[in-house]
Amino acid sequence: MAEEHDEIQQTTKGELSRRELLKRAGLGAAVLGVSGSAGASKAFAFAGPHRYTGRYLKNELKIMQWVHFVPDYDKWLDSTYIVQWGQKNDTQVIMDHVNNTELPARAAAEIAAQSGHDLFQFLSPPSAYQNQTIPLDDAVQEVTKKRGKMTGVAYRSTYNPRTKHYFGFPDNYVPDPVVWRHDLWNDVGESPATWDHVLKASSKLKNGGHPIGIGMSNELDSNMANFAIMLCFGSQIQNADGQIVINSKQTRDYLNFMKSLYQQGLTNEIFGWNPASNNQFLISGKGSMILNAVSATRTPEDLKLPFSDDLWIWPIPKGPGGRMGLEHVMGVYVIWKFSKQKQLAKKFLIDQQLAYRDHFVQSKFYNFPGWLNGVPGGFKTIRKLTAADQHKPKGKYSILSTIAERYTTNAGHPGFSNAAIGEIFDTFLIPQMAAEVAQGKLSAADAAKQADKQFKTILKKWKDRKLV
Amino acid sequence: MNAFAHGLKRNGPAWLIVGPFAIVLAFPFYWMVITAFKETTNLYDLTKFPFWWSGGLPQTTANVSDLFHHTDYVKWLENTAFVGVVVVAITLVLAMPAGYALARLSGRWGQGMGVGIFLTYLVPPTLLFLPLSRVVSTLHLHDSLWSLVLVYPSFTVPFATWLLMGFFKTIPQELEDAAMMDGCSRIKALTRVVFPISLPGILTVVIFSFSLVVNEFVYAITFISSSSNRMLSVGVPTELIRGDLVLWGAIMAATLIPAIPLALLYNAFLNRFIAGFTGGAFR
Amino acid sequence: MPKPRRARRFADLFEQRRFLAPALIAPAVLFIALLVGGPFVLAIYLSFTDATAGSLTGHWVGLHNFIAEWDNQIFRRALWNTFLFTVVSQVIVLFAAGILAHALIRPFRGKWFLRFLILLPWAAPISLGAIGWLWIFDSLYSVVNWTLVHTHTVGAACAVFRIDGCSALNPPQWLGNATLAKVSIITVHTWRIIPFATVIFLAGIASIPNEVHDAAAVDGATGLRKFWYVSLPLQIPIATVALLFGIVFTATDMTVTYVLTHGGPFNSSHVITTWAFNTGIESGSLGEGAAVSLYLLPVLAFVAVGMLVFARRAEVT
Repeated sequence: MAEEHDEIQQTTKGELSRRELLKRAGLGAAVLGVSGSAGASKAFAFAGPHRYTGRYLKNELKIMQWVHFVPDYDKWLDSTYIVQWGQKNDTQVIMDHVNNTELPARAAAEIAAQSGHDLFQFLSPPSAYQNQTIPLDDAVQEVTKKRGKMTGVAYRSTYNPRTKHYFGFPDNYVPDPVVWRHDLWNDVGESPATWDHVLKASSKLKNGGHPIGIGMSNELDSNMANFAIMLCFGSQIQNADGQIVINSKQTRDYLNFMKSLYQQGLTNEIFGWNPASNNQFLISGKGSMILNAVSATRTPEDLKLPFSDDLWIWPIPKGPGGRMGLEHVMGVYVIWKFSKQKQLAKKFLIDQQLAYRDHFVQSKFYNFPGWLNGVPGGFKTIRKLTAADQHKPKGKYSILSTIAERYTTNAGHPGFSNAAIGEIFDTFLIPQMAAEVAQGKLSAADAAKQADKQFKTILKKWKDRKLV
Repeated sequence: MNAFAHGLKRNGPAWLIVGPFAIVLAFPFYWMVITAFKETTNLYDLTKFPFWWSGGLPQTTANVSDLFHHTDYVKWLENTAFVGVVVVAITLVLAMPAGYALARLSGRWGQGMGVGIFLTYLVPPTLLFLPLSRVVSTLHLHDSLWSLVLVYPSFTVPFATWLLMGFFKTIPQELEDAAMMDGCSRIKALTRVVFPISLPGILTVVIFSFSLVVNEFVYAITFISSSSNRMLSVGVPTELIRGDLVLWGAIMAATLIPAIPLALLYNAFLNRFIAGFTGGAFR
Repeated sequence: MPKPRRARRFADLFEQRRFLAPALIAPAVLFIALLVGGPFVLAIYLSFTDATAGSLTGHWVGLHNFIAEWDNQIFRRALWNTFLFTVVSQVIVLFAAGILAHALIRPFRGKWFLRFLILLPWAAPISLGAIGWLWIFDSLYSVVNWTLVHTHTVGAACAVFRIDGCSALNPPQWLGNATLAKVSIITVHTWRIIPFATVIFLAGIASIPNEVHDAAAVDGATGLRKFWYVSLPLQIPIATVALLFGIVFTATDMTVTYVLTHGGPFNSSHVITTWAFNTGIESGSLGEGAAVSLYLLPVLAFVAVGMLVFARRAEVT
């Protein structure tokens, strides 16, 4: 601190030292670029991207990503992390945030415009955009050199076996535990260890006025839950070679299970859910179990709800096909072909992954790094960090590392998250299938057959476009 | 009959007819007021009476203050107001002459053109926004409010042209002819006689064009990326919905704050515009 | 002093209908042609290609997108829903706005306040209004359901809409039941278009010159007869325009359905605009999305032209 003081003393009136300039530039960039900063600039911004003229920093890097569920994470990211990185790399980093549902529209617009941000973050593998982005093999190798292998979910979410390139950089993923009310389940003498247990408990819980909630709507949580339960029953959309294998006994078992679950233990509200609904279901005190990321436990903690200490986090219940869950979101970055800062963007990605311990902590354990050792020490360190969380029951978050390590995989497992899987995901065809069977509109066998036909058409379409 | 009964007889039927509609249409706004001042834990509590605040009085101003202090809400309001005013001005400049021409001067092909202008409405912005974003970036207007100022008239002008055409048609030709016989050129007749009389129509166009600007969503979200440049209809859903946490109270407050003044403004305009018709040249 | 010959000729030019009309229309037409026409042509081109993501080029596939979509059940349902939502909501709007406009034309005490309440839905940005309704129809916290449960009328509501398994413990899901989702979407469309249509109808009624009223009085036409034979015909042109715009705003709207149901439950409430968006943008099959969007065009154009011709014929000059 003393040396800074000296430097400022040394400058004459009206002249700023380079350090001071950089500091101000960084602050300026942060202030102007940060979303949610109140009263940041009163002037109408007519000029476009170069709001701050960047006279003092050589480069400019523009990043677009989602509005993180944890506001403090975005605050830290925008006013600390990118500022420091920018100073170290002589770059003004402009970070824009947008709602995760609006990312596809923005991406399409930037592609059409052939201009926009350099780095663009998606929350699911952006396999449909491969023709518009540069392969990121070198960035991936760079990190792998320093941190070892990436996780399986990261690999299958960003690698295209046909082109043999990584079309995205798997920065982070979010594990999807089951969040349940220990007190309510205790009352009925059960726990969600297996889906069978869940089914048995569901009617008792429902009769007690505290049903469980598994969505079957056109939204993200329903997608995640249903993809995951399918895997627990051994039902797969595609095999490791990318062929559609949905029409199977396991799929029928899964669908029949969902039907029984609905009849015995679910209420009609699950058909009309939006992404916030299952959280609200839990927050109201009514819900006794949901499948969701830890945002479901953090909000009750923040609101100091009386039952927040009774919310336990467990891995997804085991099914006849094993125990496997999906990532809640998969943070994948791409660099557009039209970017003029490709090298710098790659450096940003590499540096961010290497510094992932801070990101992991600042996001309150929401973001898990794409690489096994993204947080140095790997899952051992992660377990230690999560166990240190003070919320009761103490150590409850440590299970997250087990879930992330063993029970989290990508959509399209055991195959890759390719563009066909992406379309099936984006058009909510799996929750649709489950809902139609649950409500008796289709038999399980017919639904599986129909899905088979639908998915094969979709796969062929993307194969013809040479993206799969 | 005493004064009260007399008043009831005169006003009663109107209230009976309009009242139910007003209640149904305005109920969501009542609901927004209640929600905006409710505490979050109260909001999520299923046992509480929802139509009022438990405890009798508004519970918290935290939602509103969060809106003003932790987001760029004020900027969004300013941006929307700015774009609205400029786009309305452009719309009037383009649509008034066009509406007049279609109403008076053109024959059959004019009708065709009128219909053609209207048909542009049928092309959804969810399709147009892609090529348009290329136009916007070529003109270096990306992330600038001027991109919206450029593009919005594309849907306000057809609508305004049609409305004005309808209004100009109701003005008798004799008025202009009289003015021209007195020595005015056609252009002078336009500006000195026709436009002033069609003030009510112009006001209607102002109201509707402004509301179209405020409502627009697709272009606003694709052309603008930074928070401080956002429009109201985009900023609120984008920043007050954080993943799976929806800040209902703040969103309701954010909706009420522009809606009430705008409704008051439209209401005031309506008075002028109806007075303009019943007073004025038709005696 | 007479104007010099050159200036006079120039001024005369403006007097010429043939010159003046195009001169006045040109700016508007040029503007629209550039901003809408160009992109529109490009969009048509895209629908014949296999373009993906946001790419503005692709391989030519002819009519494949149009045919493939027709085979898709969700698309066919979307087409039907668009038609259903638009017609039902606009019929309700027509009646409601007609009644309201007539009731509001004469002064009465408190009219200003009631009119303010009626204008509110139009004054709120539709994206925000729809989010407000999302909360009103929420799966758990719906104030509608709260009212039904606490006035013990849940059973009646369930019976009216013929919902199975519906009770006080399992109240109607306004966004989660296929039928109710449609009802909810139609409700929001109607809610926001009524003020709009009412104002236009008011304009229409107010624009009837006083001479007409006087003439009608002289002829002895009053009350209902006057309404049917005099007022109504005069209002038809402007009412048609109002209805037409209402139809266009509803049929081309994406926001309401997107915010309320995102096309659910199980993709049963999609309309053309949301399905086009889901296909073209969210799933990345841009050419297909463009094709879906374009399906709407001929239908709307046909309706629009039809109504405009009707309006012109019905004009009383």
